[in-house]
Amino acid sequence: MIAAHTPVQRPRDARLLIVDAFGRIQHSARDAFVGLLNPHDLVIANDAATLPASLHGRHASSGAVVEVRLAARASLDTADVHRFVAMVFGAGNFRTRTEDRPLPPQLAPGDRLELGPLSATVESLLDHPRLVSVRFDGTARDIWAGLATHGRPIQYAHVPAPLALWDVWTPIAAMPVAFEPPSAGFVLDWASIQAMRRRGVAFATLTLAAGISSTGDADLDRRLPFDEPYRIPASTSAAIQQARRQGGRVVAIGTTVVRALEHAAGRDGVVQPGEGVANQRLGPASELRVVDAILSGTHEPDSSHYQLLRAFADDVTLAEATAALEASGYRTHEFGDSVFVARRNRVVRQVAA
Amino acid sequence: MTHPLNDRLDGVRIAITGGTSGLGLALVDELTRRGARVAFVARTRERVDDVARTHPLAYGIVGDVAKKDDIYPIALQIMGGLGGLDVLVNNASSLGPVPLALLADTECEDLELALATNVLGPFRLTKALLGALAASARENGPQAGSVVVNISSDAAVNAYPQWGAYGASKAALRHMTRIWDEELAAEGIHFLSLDPGDMDTPLHALAVPDADPATLKRPETAAREIADAIAVSLRAGSKSAGQAEAVGVTP
Repeated sequence: MIAAHTPVQRPRDARLLIVDAFGRIQHSARDAFVGLLNPHDLVIANDAATLPASLHGRHASSGAVVEVRLAARASLDTADVHRFVAMVFGAGNFRTRTEDRPLPPQLAPGDRLELGPLSATVESLLDHPRLVSVRFDGTARDIWAGLATHGRPIQYAHVPAPLALWDVWTPIAAMPVAFEPPSAGFVLDWASIQAMRRRGVAFATLTLAAGISSTGDADLDRRLPFDEPYRIPASTSAAIQQARRQGGRVVAIGTTVVRALEHAAGRDGVVQPGEGVANQRLGPASELRVVDAILSGTHEPDSSHYQLLRAFADDVTLAEATAALEASGYRTHEFGDSVFVARRNRVVRQVAA
Repeated sequence: MTHPLNDRLDGVRIAITGGTSGLGLALVDELTRRGARVAFVARTRERVDDVARTHPLAYGIVGDVAKKDDIYPIALQIMGGLGGLDVLVNNASSLGPVPLALLADTECEDLELALATNVLGPFRLTKALLGALAASARENGPQAGSVVVNISSDAAVNAYPQWGAYGASKAALRHMTRIWDEELAAEGIHFLSLDPGDMDTPLHALAVPDADPATLKRPETAAREIADAIAVSLRAGSKSAGQAEAVGVTP
């Protein structure tokens, strides 16, 4: 697929490839996606705002230039922002492909990092020369002010222009806890939320601290996604119950929503409100207890996002979808086109088998 | 002035721009006193630090709402400081030319500053925080919702000579408030345009240097009225901008 290189969240020509519950494929304009929804369906999006998680600075003892990318955190608590899992790159910036970025100087516990107004200590190494646990100095207020003034959104070489926070915050962005944007949510604007309401479609949100999508290292990429804390509001849990009662589907905007809801679901499919840490990997063997359909970006078959789609559709169908995306020149990555995949109809599939 | 028994705003997360002087500072006082969790924004680090020292429960943020590049850093710190947002008070204001001038004598740059501070700033900051306000409204329930207060003026309605830049910008803000309210009522986000009246504040002193302070309203009084309006709105839910305007007006 072609990389989408312009940071426009809702390009007017964005496209949507639809895979229905029977594995049939259709093409649509993406801004018509509300038309795919039925009265009583419930759309759930991730309202995490994106942190300016890329911090340039120096490794104090060697004087070497580094880029620190914050990548994970244990909780969503905004007062608890001292400790992060972080990736450390050597000199350079996002314009170099992450695969080609030099390693940082050899890091050791206790090393100091000077990152503009922020300073941090390497607390531990996490089994890879790039991956460390860091602890920032100062109060939570100092850290937020430092991130706000010095941090930049994490970005990759396929988008050449430097991104600002307004490029990566979805229109519904609320809690700044994501390390990269939950970009499936770029599809939403306030007019689409109004259109859902007019159609009798409910809308709810949860918050999951979406982690980094790429490390530039095959070994590290296999560890993605990292554990991601999430929070499901009581109002969202209640909306799921209501949709169930009324025979509506639960439609997830993005893989992060699927990850949170399926992690929080009990065996009975009931989603309890509250906080948790999503640490599971979803794939072909996963039984979906909550989510009936997903609207997501277009994903390459070697990504964890694609693995998650295998919980929705069988491999033959997904291979057909991938071929259709390629053949029709769909754009990929965070500002690219989208797919809508309905969970396969198990009854029909069992009959066919 | 006596308050209704339920005038408390315990735990309500409120952000105020222009929070280190005049009405904004009085609002920081009043709202923290009522138990709200307050973040305030102002341009000057020293003043922010001073107010933060005397208001240990309030969260100070340095930023200029008139600058486009400051908006997201401000929004990020509001969310970091409060962990969510129930009420945004767009209070920071610019007079435009100081001393006041006839429109015909107003430099374009002074009009631009008034528009940047009084219209574009509130628009941009509200837009950046809309997701947070909508999330609050969904969780609080559509009745309580969340609230955006835009500080207005009688100059937004009446054509006072020499108040052109300020009056035109406040008229735009007032009208924008009504449209926001129409468009987002269904999301549970309620927009109030509140006119605090002529107050004894630094802004008023710049505009009318020889005014007798004794004839002016105390900002503390206006802050109480605005806090009451917020409490009423969070309790009662939907309320149109037009109805609410009268709450803070001095006759």
